[in-house]
Amino acid sequence: MQALTHPLTYLVNLATPLNLTQYTAQGGYLGAIKALKEFSPAQVLEIIKDSQLKGRGGAGFPTGMKWSFVPHYDDDDVRSKENKYLVCNGDEMEPGTFKDRLLLEGVPHQLIEAMIIAAYTIGANKAYIFLRGEYHLAAKRLQIAIDEAYQAGWLGSGIQGTGYQLDLYVHTSAGRYICGEETALINALEGKRANPRAKPPFPQVAGLFGKPTIVNNVETLSNLPHILKNGAQWFKDVSPNSDAGTKIYGACGRVKSPGLWELPMGATIGQVLNDHAGGMSDGLKLKGLLPGGASTDFLMPEHLDVPMDYDSIAKAGSRLGTGGLIVLDDKNCPVAMVLNLLEFFAQESCGWCTPCRDGTPWAVEILTRIEHGKGSLDDIDSLLNLCDFMWIGKTHCALAPGAVEPLKSALKYFNDDFMQHIEQGCCPYHGGR
Amino acid sequence: MEDVKVSDIDRNESNDKPTTDVTIFIDNQAVQVRADNNLLAGVLSNKLNLPYFCWHPSMGSVGACRQCAVTQYQDENDTRGRLVMACTTPITDGMRISLKDTQSEKFREQVIAAMMTNHPHDCPVCAEGGECHLQDMTVMTGHSCRSYKGDKRTFTNQNLGEFVGHEMNRCITCYRCVRYYKDYAGGDDFGVYGSKNQVYFGRQKAGQLESEFSGNLVEVCPTGVFTNKLFSAHFSRKWDLQSAPSICAHCSVGCNTSVGERYGSVRRVMNRYHDQLNGHFLCDRGRFGLGFVNGEQRIRQTKGIPQQSVERLTRLDVNKALAHFNGKKFIGIGSARASIEANYYLQKLVGDNYFSLGLTNTEMSLAAQHRALLSTHSKTKSAAPSLHDIEQCDFVFIIDEDITQTSPRVALSVRQALRNAAIEKAAGIGIPHWQDSAVRTIGGKLLSPLYLLQSKASKLDDVAEDIDITSPKSLIAKVNDITTQLKKSALTSGEQLDDSFTARLITAFKQAKNPLIIGGWSAESPALFTAITKLFEELSNITHSTQLLMMPPQVNSIGLLSLMTEQSLSLEQVIDHAQNEGAEGVSGLIILENELAALSVEQFALIKKQDLNIISLDHSKSEASANADIILPVSAVSESDGHFINYQARVQKFSQVHPTALPIQENWRWLNLLAMAVFPKNNLSKNVRSLAQLHQLFAEEHDDWLLDTMNEEHSIARETHRVSGRTAKNANFSVHEPKTTQSSSKLKFSMEGELQSDQQEKPFTWAPGWNSSQSINQLTSQPVNQSGKTDQFLSFFQLSPITDQWLTFCESLREVNFSLQVPWYRGEWQSSLNPEFILLNQENKVFISPQAMKKGQWQQGQWLTLRFSHLGEDASSVVAQAFQDERLSDDYLYADINLSLANTESNSVASSEEERAMMNSTEIKLSTANQQDLLAYQQAFNNREKHATTDKANALARLKNQDQYIPIRLVSGGLDDV
Repeated sequence: MQALTHPLTYLVNLATPLNLTQYTAQGGYLGAIKALKEFSPAQVLEIIKDSQLKGRGGAGFPTGMKWSFVPHYDDDDVRSKENKYLVCNGDEMEPGTFKDRLLLEGVPHQLIEAMIIAAYTIGANKAYIFLRGEYHLAAKRLQIAIDEAYQAGWLGSGIQGTGYQLDLYVHTSAGRYICGEETALINALEGKRANPRAKPPFPQVAGLFGKPTIVNNVETLSNLPHILKNGAQWFKDVSPNSDAGTKIYGACGRVKSPGLWELPMGATIGQVLNDHAGGMSDGLKLKGLLPGGASTDFLMPEHLDVPMDYDSIAKAGSRLGTGGLIVLDDKNCPVAMVLNLLEFFAQESCGWCTPCRDGTPWAVEILTRIEHGKGSLDDIDSLLNLCDFMWIGKTHCALAPGAVEPLKSALKYFNDDFMQHIEQGCCPYHGGR
Repeated sequence: MEDVKVSDIDRNESNDKPTTDVTIFIDNQAVQVRADNNLLAGVLSNKLNLPYFCWHPSMGSVGACRQCAVTQYQDENDTRGRLVMACTTPITDGMRISLKDTQSEKFREQVIAAMMTNHPHDCPVCAEGGECHLQDMTVMTGHSCRSYKGDKRTFTNQNLGEFVGHEMNRCITCYRCVRYYKDYAGGDDFGVYGSKNQVYFGRQKAGQLESEFSGNLVEVCPTGVFTNKLFSAHFSRKWDLQSAPSICAHCSVGCNTSVGERYGSVRRVMNRYHDQLNGHFLCDRGRFGLGFVNGEQRIRQTKGIPQQSVERLTRLDVNKALAHFNGKKFIGIGSARASIEANYYLQKLVGDNYFSLGLTNTEMSLAAQHRALLSTHSKTKSAAPSLHDIEQCDFVFIIDEDITQTSPRVALSVRQALRNAAIEKAAGIGIPHWQDSAVRTIGGKLLSPLYLLQSKASKLDDVAEDIDITSPKSLIAKVNDITTQLKKSALTSGEQLDDSFTARLITAFKQAKNPLIIGGWSAESPALFTAITKLFEELSNITHSTQLLMMPPQVNSIGLLSLMTEQSLSLEQVIDHAQNEGAEGVSGLIILENELAALSVEQFALIKKQDLNIISLDHSKSEASANADIILPVSAVSESDGHFINYQARVQKFSQVHPTALPIQENWRWLNLLAMAVFPKNNLSKNVRSLAQLHQLFAEEHDDWLLDTMNEEHSIARETHRVSGRTAKNANFSVHEPKTTQSSSKLKFSMEGELQSDQQEKPFTWAPGWNSSQSINQLTSQPVNQSGKTDQFLSFFQLSPITDQWLTFCESLREVNFSLQVPWYRGEWQSSLNPEFILLNQENKVFISPQAMKKGQWQQGQWLTLRFSHLGEDASSVVAQAFQDERLSDDYLYADINLSLANTESNSVASSEEERAMMNSTEIKLSTANQQDLLAYQQAFNNREKHATTDKANALARLKNQDQYIPIRLVSGGLDDV
């Protein structure tokens, strides 16, 4: 039964997504109705906590715990009348990642249902979907779905005869990678510069317009209707491994069939790469891969047996991130690849803190020289210094450390390639381009 | 345990909050720090060197630059530690950190190295060089060798107007400028654009910065992006400037300034930290308004004193010229822009019966009330809150005093007070006040309530909770109504009030813990003053911590009030006196630094008609000096020693920055000469050589001299220890080393004297390793009064009480129907003498209610002619552009009028006559402007700009010439030779 093994994607239809009637006919909005009519917000929170759902945006923070940080005030406290907000992070800009797009374009009602559940749980009456600016189709389909939901009494005041009210808006981003960082996203939503905020306060306490706010990833939220429908225990059992639920894994690069597959949490890298993506293209060998988008450390062919769950990947020296593999073959230059990634990060730095703002372009400058055969041995040291300079704890947010991850691991695993560039005075792959 | 350093904190007497000190360990040294601030502030308070950029003591922490990283250890056994940003780390008792460990030292150097990838190597041609925070911090981290090999990014600079220069290539992206300009000062025409390492700070389009606090960018910027244009035009390195502690003479706040001079001309004004007043910031009028000292309108020669030798004026010349006045009666007219000493001296010489404060009847009425107010509340000081006190308020009600124009620095403090609601909310969830970005996140748009009851729009409208705009006349009734309602609601608590401005105001007031009311003299309405005082008394009954700030108009207005006696003459009375008694009774007027701008044309004509000998002491040309028989050129505030009494009755000393070239002398020196020649029998007619001697003389001869004796024990150097060209500056004139001018005060015109540290008067700020104005954090790291001791306050309680007779002035009032909004930079005579201030003038605007617009069939933006009945048909018309203002009631309008453009003639005398006339006019007729008037107006506007530009160029050329050929120090001689 697809609904129980592939809860997130079994209703996906990229050509023509299910409309409200079709979605409801397929068991849609059952989770929401259950949450609204059978449970109190506190009970829903318990179920989500119990399900051990973790954030699918990259950091893997337990969702239930995140929600529980939203303050609850007594009714006589003036602060209890303050608005709370739910924000869906649909600003999917991580290179090599396109899982949310599938859900947004393929089954928009699932997200709306999920947001009703989440907003109900935290007590928010206003919710936003912060959408990557380039996702025009998703924006269009979401808006149609939202209009349908309003029509059918799933949004607005007095949802399905309950006293609960929720307004949902789609906000399309002007296009910055940093908007994927939840506090930068909130700033952007407020019409401010998309700089990450200082923490504390965390958004759960003071987020959008200074009010308690929960920001969740599209994929994270999309799990909610199914957890409500099938129970927390089912969710935990879906995965044979320590992490609960399913995960949409992806692969891109020179593989036979790039794409996305919903698998139980903890499928190995080898399963994703070989069983689902069909292995490397003809004549190419696997040189290395980034397991979860651009801001993760390289893993090597020897890591193919590592299960893709948060802990195992961390043990192997990388991060699960978004679960989208970027595969590097042996005919492409790893230095050029890292340069390309760093160019992206330098471009997307918000410009707030010094290590990121001035460190990433500096790394680009050095990498460019190395790639063009004008590097020197000192440059390797400079790069290692920069990796240290931009590491966790020294920057304002996780962007620069994220940029360091592929760079640092490339310096470790592909040291020979770097040395060849310097010694030969040109790129051994592209002949100096 | 190692010896414990005790920081400056202990000396703090003035801070309201109890200081809780905790011990922390910095590199295993135990030090005391205040727990209510961040770690960076704590480290700096112990005079330790920790570099930083984005943090600012007044603006708090945001953690952008990452420069202040230190290593924090869990306990004694922790050897690894972890890197934390000191500015975002709260202080906890017993915490252990290291500044000297390799980890944090390396990271701090890396931060500088990263910033330097884009910073140009243009220090030698940069105006910031030598007082650059970036230079200091770079040296501090030890970064000396550049390893970045790529290109630097470049930007296009903007013309930000007359005052602030812009060189974006130097930017290190610390975000301080935009945080200051937008978040702190509330400006909306400056921002941050772009991202990654292409972040641009500037305006959307090039143009004059609109904030009246734009000049602080110069000091807020840690490097040379924002520089003082007027200073750059006639530049000197900081180390070559001779400086002295001064007081800004442009409004009654009396901000502390440090004025720098070289080659006999004043170069610039910098902020001088005072925790109770200006803190770290000045307004633009204070920072850029000292050009008149070097200006073209300056009086540099005597008039009516024949000199024996063309080159030098002698004491004999003066005595001869004044001899025939010996024993004659004079009326002395004092001034609120002259020092307390000069005013006091003049009063004692002419006698109380013949002394005028230089105020009109209306102003005398205001003065009497103000004095009564100050003496009633002398003990609690609730009618004289400091700017620091204002910033602690949680409710502000401003009644028809546009503080953004009359005393801008107060408005800046009010803006900070409005943040208290957010700070309190943040504290509720454990976020301390110094976590700036966090507090702003939590606060959102939350502001403490500001209520405005006013006759015209103001620049605080954007942060006000509620605004009521009404005519000056109905305003008084409204204030009285509020008082009545308040009294009623106090008796019947809990009663639901209707939804009116008054009701909302009263509700907000009752919720406030520290309410503040602000009013002032600018409405020129004694009845309003009375109404506000009554409201204040009523509010004080309900909330005892209520404070009232009545803003007097000029720097020494309150000093004048202390000299007020029952016999003090108003200007109208001076005219009557002169008319009635004639030349036999009074032989003349001694006008001390007063341009008599409050007099109307007719009144001025009356004075001229009398056969009076007018002796005018002033620094710049005015109508009063133009009509004088004898002109004695006095030194401006930057060239004088003396004291001003600010709005709080705070006694503040200003010191000579440089000696003046004779015959320009300090006002009290001229008065001393006058005393000996004209009033030889007066007990103050003794030769005095210094201000301290003068004080002593006052104290010996008169009981009512209230100022403390001056402490002249130490020597303080006006010049820096790095000053260059000390013996060679005049070599092109004479190869002989010039004789050092002897100083009559403890501040020396040389490098001799104590290197400033924590002592009282700082000519400039400097600390070892800290050359920029940030060095203040090494000197006064905590809000310690910069003088190290509490300032003296004049006690109005000690003065003779106000009798009812004085207060009868209040009965006779004349209210003005037409409210003139004079642009703030013209609101003051002195700063309006500067060409760049004239250049800043805006075109005339008149704001009209929708009904009136409809009635006149006028369009938005249409040009109208305003006719003032007072002056007859032709002379009085002003062309102004009409704008609809919804908030105005039917019969009411107001205007921003640039009076000097009223006529096609841009003759300064004509314009000032008109100015005075218009202030008194009561009837205005509006009609559509004809093409001819409009063209003439625009021509006048252009002419004025042209004139000002020429004036500016002339002054600059003259000054630069002077640097080359004129010895700065006239060898001491002249008067003292005889």
